Amino acid sequence: MFKTKKIVALAASAALILSMAVGCNNANNTSSDDDTSSTVDLGEINVISREDGSGTRGAFVELMGIVDENDKDATTVTAEITNSTSVMMSTVAGNESAIGYVSLGSLYDDVKALKVDGVEATPENVKSGDYKVSRPFVICYVEDKLSDLAKDFISYIMSADGQQLLTDEKYISVADGEAYAAPETALSGEISISGSTSVGPVMEKLAAAYMEKNKDVKISIEQNGSGAGIKAATEGVSDIGMSSRELKDSEKEKLADTKIALDGVAVIVNKANTVENLTSEQIKNIFLGEVTEWADVQ
Amino acid sequence: MSKTSEVLMKFVFMICACVSIAAVALICVFMFANGVPAMSEIGFTEFLLGDKWRPSSDLYGIFPMIIGSIYVTAGAIIIGVPIGLLCAVFLAYYCPSKLYSIVKPAVELLAGIPSIVYGFFGLMVIVPFIKDNIARGNFIHLGGSGKGVLTASILLGIMILPTIISTVEPNLRAVPKMYYEGSLALGATKERSVFCTIVPAAKSGVMAGVVLWIGRAIGETMAVIIVAGNQPVIPEKITSGVRTLTANIVLEMAYASDLHKDALIATAVVLFVFILIINTCFSLLKRSES
Repeated sequence: MFKTKKIVALAASAALILSMAVGCNNANNTSSDDDTSSTVDLGEINVISREDGSGTRGAFVELMGIVDENDKDATTVTAEITNSTSVMMSTVAGNESAIGYVSLGSLYDDVKALKVDGVEATPENVKSGDYKVSRPFVICYVEDKLSDLAKDFISYIMSADGQQLLTDEKYISVADGEAYAAPETALSGEISISGSTSVGPVMEKLAAAYMEKNKDVKISIEQNGSGAGIKAATEGVSDIGMSSRELKDSEKEKLADTKIALDGVAVIVNKANTVENLTSEQIKNIFLGEVTEWADVQ
Repeated sequence: MSKTSEVLMKFVFMICACVSIAAVALICVFMFANGVPAMSEIGFTEFLLGDKWRPSSDLYGIFPMIIGSIYVTAGAIIIGVPIGLLCAVFLAYYCPSKLYSIVKPAVELLAGIPSIVYGFFGLMVIVPFIKDNIARGNFIHLGGSGKGVLTASILLGIMILPTIISTVEPNLRAVPKMYYEGSLALGATKERSVFCTIVPAAKSGVMAGVVLWIGRAIGETMAVIIVAGNQPVIPEKITSGVRTLTANIVLEMAYASDLHKDALIATAVVLFVFILIINTCFSLLKRSES
């Protein structure tokens, strides 16, 4: 029995060492790629996209005009599809010929964010409106049915405290409110929120901070996509819906909406890629599948 | 006293048996109730044979995904089965007991690794390897990004290894010792005895396991999503991206609504029918053999 355990432990550690060696090799490879990047022929463009229905994809497609004659999503069918930000980043980080897009809030140094029409993807440029590829984070609700508690929560989100929290999470604030003060008569009750998985994580943080200030309040958040959140708010299932796109006119008839923040969408490529800047026309053509070689945009 | 408890326990056993049947029945009802109307709304032929999947334009054709699932599963079987079979033969007849105590736990460990870990291993190790050597290598350059049929097949081939080994090895061991000894006594070498008497004798037991292997390969989702590329087009080359039926469901379930969601459930119905067909085939095969 002991023997088996020992052997298993040995085997496990051997596997660990092996995987570390593999990791080192990879690191060496990428650094040598960097040295020769100026002469590397990147060849065919590998387009990476998010899945159909994703808020990020919806916003990207709409902003860049990647649509057919009927205004429907026309992302090339040869684009690789992933449903997670982390796989998107690792894929682009490991493939010199890849191009993809992620929310500015999830951007890390493993990949390079391109300038779009010469403008760098930074929170400042999104706020000033110079960087065009951005989408709003919206909350929506039925105005006359909103409880005082939910109203107070919204006032917290729009206050200096709430907006500061959004800025800390690398999103772009939209309001310059005053500091939040909890009402004198302590509020209690429940707020239910549902919707976008992009807005969800930061909403969790906002809710936690709010509950810290108002001990008797309970906020439940369900992350099930922008469409579902808007539907739940319309039907009164949830008090507040979250959306990572602007509401459609048909939705605005029934719901009031408030923009709580802006999120930039960064166009990302591998670090070995020498391209620094693409025009929106070039990005559009790449994602439509009309431009397929890096040589055509370099 | 003992009689009442006996009756009671009988009842409990029966309920337990019913739970699994009820689960299958409920899942069937749910899938068919949601999926079949969606299929008829889209049109059965358009749905099953259409080659365009563009939910935003209301085009729901899952033919590329059906082909994708078949390719990837076949690839996994081609890669996994020879390795798994030979490994089982080695474990049962050649392996020194010292080595056995290392190899056997290692195989069991392989079975315990979560599929998402396999997926990330594939993304970090197999994908770059395929990209640098086969998709865009100096000698072989088939094109593609490294994600595709071949990568998914290799990864799945590794993932079904423990299932193969654990079904084949006991079957080999269950063959009566005298077959082997008789073969040796007739002058056959060890290799000949193993491959010409033991392996054929274990065949029917092994065949039953094939359903499990195929089921595991066709149903695997999380790892495949990460390394397959997921393009909803029929792959042209072994390095082209591919989307399987399961990947299609998981990729888009989170955001889908209305007909799109029902189309995904209909995809599950197709997958379910697939597995049903495979199971029936093999139980028929088994029956005809015995």
